[in-house]
Amino acid sequence: MNFIPHTEEDISKMLTVVGCSTLDALVSEFKPRLSELKLDEPKNEMDLLSYMTKLSEKNSTMKYFAGGGSYDHYIPSIIGHLVLRGEFLTSYTPYQPEASQGVLQVLYEFQTFICMLTGMDVSNASLYDGASALAEAALLSSAHTKRKGVFVEEGLNPNYFKVLQTYCDGTELYITNSIDENTACVISQTPDFNGNIKNPRGLIEKAHQHKALFINCISDATSLVILKTPGEFGADIVVGEGQSFGIPKSFGGPYLGYIAVKEFLTKKLPGRIVGMTTDDKGNEGFVLTLQAREQFIRRERATSNITTNQTLLALTATIYLASLGKSGLQNVARASYHRAHTLQEKLKKVGFELVNTNPFYNEFLVKTPKPTEKIIADLMECNILGGIDVGDNKLLISCTEKNSLQDIDSYISTVST
Amino acid sequence: MKLIFNYNQSNTKHTPQEKDVDLPDDLKRKDLPLNDVNEVQIIRHYTRLSRKNYGIDTNFYPLGSCTMKYNPRINEDIARLPGFSNLHPFMPASHAQGALEVIWELEEILKEITGMDAFSLQPAAGSQSELLGVMIAKKYFTEKNENRPKIIIPDSAHGTNPATAAMCKFQTVTIPTDERGNMDINEFKKAIGKDVAVVMITNPNTLGLYEENLSEIKDIAKENGALMYCDGANMNALLGISKPADQGFDMIHLNLHKTFSTPHGGGGPGGGSLGVKSFLEDYLPVPRIKKENEKFIFESNNKKSVGKLHSFYGNFGIIVRALAYIKSWGTDIQMISQIAVLNANYLFCLLKDDFDVPYDRRCAHEFVISAKNLGDKSAVNIAKRITDYGFHAPTIYFPLIVKEALMIEPTETESKNTLDEYAKVLKTIIKEIHDEPELVKNAPHTTPGRLDEVKAARQLNLRWVPSES
Repeated sequence: MNFIPHTEEDISKMLTVVGCSTLDALVSEFKPRLSELKLDEPKNEMDLLSYMTKLSEKNSTMKYFAGGGSYDHYIPSIIGHLVLRGEFLTSYTPYQPEASQGVLQVLYEFQTFICMLTGMDVSNASLYDGASALAEAALLSSAHTKRKGVFVEEGLNPNYFKVLQTYCDGTELYITNSIDENTACVISQTPDFNGNIKNPRGLIEKAHQHKALFINCISDATSLVILKTPGEFGADIVVGEGQSFGIPKSFGGPYLGYIAVKEFLTKKLPGRIVGMTTDDKGNEGFVLTLQAREQFIRRERATSNITTNQTLLALTATIYLASLGKSGLQNVARASYHRAHTLQEKLKKVGFELVNTNPFYNEFLVKTPKPTEKIIADLMECNILGGIDVGDNKLLISCTEKNSLQDIDSYISTVST
Repeated sequence: MKLIFNYNQSNTKHTPQEKDVDLPDDLKRKDLPLNDVNEVQIIRHYTRLSRKNYGIDTNFYPLGSCTMKYNPRINEDIARLPGFSNLHPFMPASHAQGALEVIWELEEILKEITGMDAFSLQPAAGSQSELLGVMIAKKYFTEKNENRPKIIIPDSAHGTNPATAAMCKFQTVTIPTDERGNMDINEFKKAIGKDVAVVMITNPNTLGLYEENLSEIKDIAKENGALMYCDGANMNALLGISKPADQGFDMIHLNLHKTFSTPHGGGGPGGGSLGVKSFLEDYLPVPRIKKENEKFIFESNNKKSVGKLHSFYGNFGIIVRALAYIKSWGTDIQMISQIAVLNANYLFCLLKDDFDVPYDRRCAHEFVISAKNLGDKSAVNIAKRITDYGFHAPTIYFPLIVKEALMIEPTETESKNTLDEYAKVLKTIIKEIHDEPELVKNAPHTTPGRLDEVKAARQLNLRWVPSES
């Protein structure tokens, strides 16, 4: 394909203006010149679509009972239509606010939604994904407390733990087993990786006694709709993955990290933040604000190196939250809860051992009566991804409103034969 | 100002009704302070907002350093194929062979384009790629037992470079730019030593100029045992023309969304990537994707790896789009860079007699001119006034070393006619600055007018709050 509008005549006229005889001569100082490039022949649109479709068909898409950081919630049709509007899709970071009021207002609405869901004071305009949002929160805590210890309560998503470990190694923080005067932050996940919902109050008190910040990492973002907010419990920082809000699973990315803080941490936030202001005629409008925190101004003294965020996905989440509204979100969360509880009860009856010790939302852990690998393989035969094999014959299962009672029955009949 | 929170309507009901849940009181949410808004209003609200926004689809968007080229729509369709978009990241590799192949294939192609020996597509963006590169350098030298606390970065570099170095507790040594727009080789020679871990260079640099002393810099860096890192933000100038590995770089990051044209989406999601020479391959994040007996597998048991960087495997949807884009170009890929360089030089030639030119050389895919002779704040005034003519502004006040900088990157997808029009508008604005200065100082004259950024930072209003009525 070719997305270059120039005619031969244009090129030759332009070369004359530039004072160069050929296109090749124009790049003569780029050295060393490569001799050959082993790529395929160019593809036209029809052949490209066929090639990529074939690749996509080598993947299996199933009925999902797996979560672990990516949840199969229903995506309302309206989202796809709005997100593809070229004015949103093909714009960039709103450096010129007068040409970007649309995206800026969307981000202001996103920040508001995140604050209302988490019960926090201030949200930024998004981060890469849940795992890096958690890592950024740990860095923020270290910058605020001037300490380097990161305490992680049991039950953090192991993928997030690994990313946190990578960031800690690279930035000279360390994971610690104790909460004391060297601890920058205490991290706790809700619901935890096994699905348990724990009351964090005691842990928050302990963190604050030692002047460490408390970071609450949220698992499925729809849980915020029915669970007491981290803000109300007293969390200082809330981070999580916003993929549940209308974003396709897409083999793990791009997703939507979010971070929200109590007011006293506002100026330490990483990434973009949108604020409301007025124009020269006194009309309300929006701009990127607190930019003095950011890398393109503060360079080595910036709060983070982050440049782009995930604006189009923040737009997606905003439209999702607006479209479902209060009652729609409550229905999604309730359905996810009820389906998971129904499946859990039925699994118990066919010999699965329940592992959760606390109340759970839409994700729970069971010990399988047969080897977990075998259970997963049997279910895959029936086009069901039955959960995540977490080892030790344990299976982590997740439900959403999309898992019908009929699907739950097929699940049970498959695993009980 | 109507926000989505100002409506209160009946719910559209996208999903079934459900009864309440049975959670203990101390864990259960009491109140959800949201409204219902009907879908009819939602679509009008966000359609109206979209019309207050300017994109590449609206018109020319020559934001320097951002590579705002046309985003082919077929790639959007491809990323939304159910086999890609509806694929769960915990699907076992045996049932996700197409996805693993997409990642593997793009890694292979990027190796070919850059000359590097191995790639990771885990980084979610350019700055996370840089972070990965610097983490790798840190681990590499720690294992070699070499104490190298410094990273050399030219003063023209993107802010992320020093910000990343600082995150990893390196000390940044800033090298000034010489009169030809290169990193000053004499200052570099003074700064380099056995205490330098990385020399981080953008090539072509952020002035849109090819680093003329690169070969010598590389030799000196290597003599001193430092790693050469390329910020590949400007790869749109080099496709099919020169390979960064051949230029002497040990690592390079590419911004998939820039060079390979995935939509910038108002500021993301983007896609990063990091390519390395073979001696650094073992440090790349896990899981890696390998091809064995015609099957694609995840490999996670690499002890030297810096670890994991992304919740899953990277921004897969962006990887799909980048692969489709490159496959559409194939062996014609050098056309992209040739025309990008032609467009930049052409527009530069149309404008260079009207502006101050800090470095009068042939440029690469972008160029920097200065409005300093047109008065204080003229760059921002010009940027605002351009909006009145229906165009987007260039990047302004970057690189920081050029006063009243206008950084213009036309990209290859703009026609000669568009460039002619843009040059004409800029010339008209210069005339206005002389004849009717107030007209430019008070621009834009569209809605909204010039927004008060100082007020925004002083009187923080970062979210809507329900009124207490």
